[in-house]
Amino acid sequence: MRSYFKLVNFELGRFMKIYLVLIGITIISQIAGVIVKSRGYLSEANQAIIVNSMPKEQFLEQFGQMSMGTFTQSIWFMGPIALCIAALIFYCFFIWYRDWFGKNTFIYRLLMLPTARLHVFLAKVTTIFLLVIGLVSIQLILLPIESMILKFIVPIDLRADLGIMEIISNSRYLFVLVPDSFIQFIINYGIGFMVVFIIFTAILFERSFRLKGILLGIVYSVLSIIVFIFPLLLEIFFGVNYLYPTELFVTEVILAIIVICAAIWTSNYLINKKVTV
Amino acid sequence: MKVSFNKREPVYVQVVQHFKEQIATGNFEPGQEIPSRRELANQLKINPNTAQRSYKEMEEEGLIYTEGNSPSKITSDEKVIKAVREELISQAVDSFVTSIRKVNVPIDELIGLIKEKYTENANE
Amino acid sequence: MIEVKDLTKRFGRKKVLNGVSFTAEKGQITCIIGINGVGKTTILNGIMNLTPMNSGLILIDGKKVSKESYEKITFIPDAITMLPQMTIREAMQFMQDFYNSWNEERANELLGFFKLKQEERISNLSKGNTAKVNLLLGLALDVDYLLMDEPFSGIDIFSREQIADVFTSHLVEDRGVIITTHEINDIEHLIDKVVLLDNGVVLKEFNAEEMRASEGKSVIDVMREVYKG
Repeated sequence: MRSYFKLVNFELGRFMKIYLVLIGITIISQIAGVIVKSRGYLSEANQAIIVNSMPKEQFLEQFGQMSMGTFTQSIWFMGPIALCIAALIFYCFFIWYRDWFGKNTFIYRLLMLPTARLHVFLAKVTTIFLLVIGLVSIQLILLPIESMILKFIVPIDLRADLGIMEIISNSRYLFVLVPDSFIQFIINYGIGFMVVFIIFTAILFERSFRLKGILLGIVYSVLSIIVFIFPLLLEIFFGVNYLYPTELFVTEVILAIIVICAAIWTSNYLINKKVTV
Repeated sequence: MKVSFNKREPVYVQVVQHFKEQIATGNFEPGQEIPSRRELANQLKINPNTAQRSYKEMEEEGLIYTEGNSPSKITSDEKVIKAVREELISQAVDSFVTSIRKVNVPIDELIGLIKEKYTENANE
Repeated sequence: MIEVKDLTKRFGRKKVLNGVSFTAEKGQITCIIGINGVGKTTILNGIMNLTPMNSGLILIDGKKVSKESYEKITFIPDAITMLPQMTIREAMQFMQDFYNSWNEERANELLGFFKLKQEERISNLSKGNTAKVNLLLGLALDVDYLLMDEPFSGIDIFSREQIADVFTSHLVEDRGVIITTHEINDIEHLIDKVVLLDNGVVLKEFNAEEMRASEGKSVIDVMREVYKG
């Protein structure tokens, strides 16, 4: 178990530089964005109300109030989030392939550690999990700060103040990342991590059987997804719909656990018996 | 210590031969400590197992001896040293005679030549 | 003792190993010789369970390879197995973190022996020094068996001599060593046992010193006979 934690620590360290850069970009872009957007709005308001002597009410009617809701729709806000998501999806693959490629084939070392090889697998899953949670936490810390900056720049009669939960539920994308209920949180991240497990297992298929492995990996992934969405398929194709929402939820949780267990079992088998350097 | 080995003769035999030469010429003095098998392997760039085998061989022939845990030493037995010297001389003479016999040189001429060359080389 | 029994391995349709069997004793240096591409590396990968075999059996002191084996046997591949951005110190720290058999004292001794500087980055090292770090990371483990893949290939003559010195030193003594090579010249006097490999089978397995004693043949003589015959 100790070596599992050491591996997690080690894997985090390997991505830390890029990770810090991603966080840096997010902070700079969002803070700069909220300033630029707020000031832009304010100068528009000045232009309209003072220079063009438009009544304030008419301006607000035409342009709406400035709020965090407006800001979170902008590229300043969404851009870095999209970048982080793309980087982490890419890293889901690279976290494995980087050990094989290049002159320094680190996979030799990882496979020759005097520890269960499954730890290597689980450490990589955990790393991705922690990286995601970390970014979401940073975002949650940034939101109130950005809200404060906006309040500081835009006068109270031109803005609509939103609480953090309101900001989140106003944005479709943020709502996926930070759901408003614990259950929804478990669903979103549970599905996300089930997908990571499936991807990792598919990668191990490829690393074990190479070309043939790609095919096996795809077949395996499709099967896993079919198992998971089986109740939905029944509903769509056969109109069978005899589960209450809570029953459906429990069924899906059980199916997800089955899919994840199957992924771990398969990966354990592959990484011990079939994988090749 | 630097020895160039030939590849067809067992290395341990060549090591023993090397020791005999050093003993016969007095480079290794009676009672002198010799390197451990590991040191010897390292100096001669040979396998430690081979060094071990050389020492075993030499111990059996009485060229070296070991008392308790102290390092092995070159024998002080005059008879052994004398025998080694004679063995080497007779080996060298034998091989010389074998090759010179093919040329068929009269013995007096040969002795003259040997004297001349031997002193000439020694003076260099 | 490492026992390799009847290994077969196919890559696609190509049979790389076709029933390879041999043994390597503790306290001896066993050398697997064969031209490039005859499956020498595959055998070592197989022993370490780094690539699956199609059939055959590998036993280390009578036991199959498991995670515990990696504290008893180690493999030094022909390329370094550490991250290039690590310093030598960090690489050593990594080993210490994960291996109980890591011997820090020996590691430091090796640093001196190879004249390496701890704070240097692996990516900045010369080929010869990279090979030495690679060797250091393996040799500093207190393991019974060491496997080395072509430790002499592609490096300068002085590094080669230094590495050859390792074999005659206490760093290797009493351990079982398997090395692969396609070039026997440098190390003919260092090895105990020779395994000649060709076309996925062992052509001959013999003790070098016994061969010289009984038949007056050098390793190269035997190779010449076997490969040309």
